[in-house]
Amino acid sequence: MVYIREAHPVDGWWFGGGIVGKIMRRRYPNASIDTYDPTSFEERQGIAKQCEESLQYGIRTYVDDMDDTVSKAYAALPTRLYLIGLDGRVVYAGGLGPFGFSPTELGEAIEAYLDKQNATDVALHNELQSSSS
Amino acid sequence: MTLEFFRNTAYYRREFNTWQERYNRDAPKKGDQAPDFELKDVSGEHIARLSQYQGKMPVALVFGSFT
Repeated sequence: MVYIREAHPVDGWWFGGGIVGKIMRRRYPNASIDTYDPTSFEERQGIAKQCEESLQYGIRTYVDDMDDTVSKAYAALPTRLYLIGLDGRVVYAGGLGPFGFSPTELGEAIEAYLDKQNATDVALHNELQSSSS
Repeated sequence: MTLEFFRNTAYYRREFNTWQERYNRDAPKKGDQAPDFELKDVSGEHIARLSQYQGKMPVALVFGSFT
């Protein structure tokens, strides 16, 4: 997980007030709608830690710098998914968030990539077997 | 919903769209070399560099925030 700039801080594009806030709290009880935009890297780290503990997604969270360097390199705001292959090249580049954010697509890309890797490994193994016999 | 909410939404949606258009032009596409980076985790104790995984395992990048 790469933690980037807040999408909906209280002091920004806030979704916490009125009926929208009620809907958000009901639909996403573990997400935060009362977080202010952090003003330092340490603050952002602290909020990222709260996010990790609250959502319990089970992977380590790394934190982008306050210049949003990685977020800009990947046009990641507000949320985005990528799969990087063994060769360091992009296998899957998800659509722009929020509407292009699709964990299902990423899952399919991972399965297809691993199937292809396995097929390549099997083919290589067979080639080595036949060349040594 | 208040008028202020709609006004804010219109303003920030424009900001987001402008930001996305600007940076998506140079964002990596399928087949491109992924831009390397090095980041600290939430504790500051672990540092990871994307290129350290090259040749070892594929990497899924999940970008997001608490809000």
